[in-house]
Amino acid sequence: MLKSMKPSLLRIFWLARLTFLEAVRQRFFAFLIVLGAAMVLSSFAFRFLDFGHGELKFIADFGFGGLFFFGSILALVMTAQLLFAEIDNRTALTLLAKPVSRTEFLLGKFAGIWIVLGLFVFVLSTLLGVMLWGRWQELVILAEQTAKVAPQFSLEGVFSHALLQWFRLGVVTSMVLLISTIARTFLFAVVVGAMTIVAGQLQWLAQEALFKPAELNPFSHALLWLASRLLPNLQQFNIGDALALDPSAVATGAVSAAILSGGFYLIAYLFLASLTFQRREI
Amino acid sequence: MSANSAISVQGLTKDFRVGIRGLKLRAVDNLCLEIPRGQVFGLLGPNGCGKSTTLKIILGLVAPTSGKISILGYPSATSSARQRTGFLPEAPYFHKFLTGRELVRYCARLSGVAPSQLDSAVEEALALASMSEAGNRTIATYSKGMLQRIGFAQAIVHDPELVILDEPTAGVDPVGSAAIGKMIHSMRDKGKTVVLCSHLLGQVEQVCDRIAIMDRGRLVLEGRVDEVLARRDKHVITVEHLTPAAQAAAEAALQAQGAHVTSITHPRRSLEDLFRELVTGSRDA
Repeated sequence: MLKSMKPSLLRIFWLARLTFLEAVRQRFFAFLIVLGAAMVLSSFAFRFLDFGHGELKFIADFGFGGLFFFGSILALVMTAQLLFAEIDNRTALTLLAKPVSRTEFLLGKFAGIWIVLGLFVFVLSTLLGVMLWGRWQELVILAEQTAKVAPQFSLEGVFSHALLQWFRLGVVTSMVLLISTIARTFLFAVVVGAMTIVAGQLQWLAQEALFKPAELNPFSHALLWLASRLLPNLQQFNIGDALALDPSAVATGAVSAAILSGGFYLIAYLFLASLTFQRREI
Repeated sequence: MSANSAISVQGLTKDFRVGIRGLKLRAVDNLCLEIPRGQVFGLLGPNGCGKSTTLKIILGLVAPTSGKISILGYPSATSSARQRTGFLPEAPYFHKFLTGRELVRYCARLSGVAPSQLDSAVEEALALASMSEAGNRTIATYSKGMLQRIGFAQAIVHDPELVILDEPTAGVDPVGSAAIGKMIHSMRDKGKTVVLCSHLLGQVEQVCDRIAIMDRGRLVLEGRVDEVLARRDKHVITVEHLTPAAQAAAEAALQAQGAHVTSITHPRRSLEDLFRELVTGSRDA
């Protein structure tokens, strides 16, 4: 089976490679990676504003927040922009006139963007991991000198969180790709995509409300049920500070559950995007 | 459908929905067309007559409202049909950060050219498009003529049986246009079918074996170029060293036989021929 799929996989690989090369050349990518890095680095300077929490928690929250915020913007804008650029500049005409199916075209786009997002997450997570580890070393020495309890830190936890964020951005990318295959303009895709990301972040509220059916009228119940099924719970990926600073607080299987749930939505969105893109006139 | 057809179009209709009310705009109206193999076929018509829509439907880029299309015996829009087809879009735009050679190599890979044949296929296509020397420059530095030629190279790199060219000479100077004409001839000499969509009627007349003219989405004429252009009721005799006395004698002899001389003029060469004679080299060759 893999042998018969080889030509198709190769085409997806070449499309992904070109998408990756195109994306990393964009100033927008460089701008956001510099901005994200600046936010991660600045967390060290602002750590005195820790609001009574630990210093490491402040740095971790600040850094993970930057990763989440700029990563989401990158996934949203880059996905919509790269798809619309192919259609508006008519490079898609040249590619789709080759023996390339529309599903392969979309999967190639998705894979290329996801690899770029992986690079973004890796660079910022490495920077954050180095900063947290460096400060943790200092705090451990300080704790020994003052006979206090040293804070916990797990570098592995930082990279587990990086993996989760990469997955989360993959879900966002597939979601925006689906919206872009339906949208007629770049602006519409970005606006609706942004609203969907916010809705995904708040999806847990819909889930909570459904636990109290008595407080809901049938229409609200149906609406919340639909929203909680159609949208992924993006909050479940935000367990970075726990993974890095208190791994024992993370429920067993939480990372796997988030990846499985995200994987389901990712595949479902890509499948739907492929279906809607079949009828799109290029 | 004829077995000798490169493209067979039967009852093709395409309606576009426009505006909020979804008003129907008919771009192609019940088009039937058989394009024979091994010939250069010109598809002509004014702007908005449905040529480009027809080409896009043939290539599977736009879905027809109704009708059947097959390419080389395969249903259009299938991978098998596109494997055997090369396409140069109108005013081609490629990823500017690639070099010409990288673009052609990339298209060869997408078209399934075997890795062992990749280098030779790329170099052959670049040579045929006269782009071997400029192949290592990025596409961003190319002139319009070079863009069309690199577009031609990417269209033929996988050695397709059918090549579809949408306005290949749009915006190209006469020297570049003549070079593209040569490429089309070389494809025909290799036994390929070329479908050419162009507004340059002079060039179409020179390179095409058959033409079809569309107007308002309908086919209004189709046939061999020499057949559709010939005026059977009139004749041209070209004479050298015609003196006034010889002219008068010839006219009298023709009138005696019942023929009527309507005009005697000097033959003209085309402005394009004159331009090409004077401007021999392409700036971007």
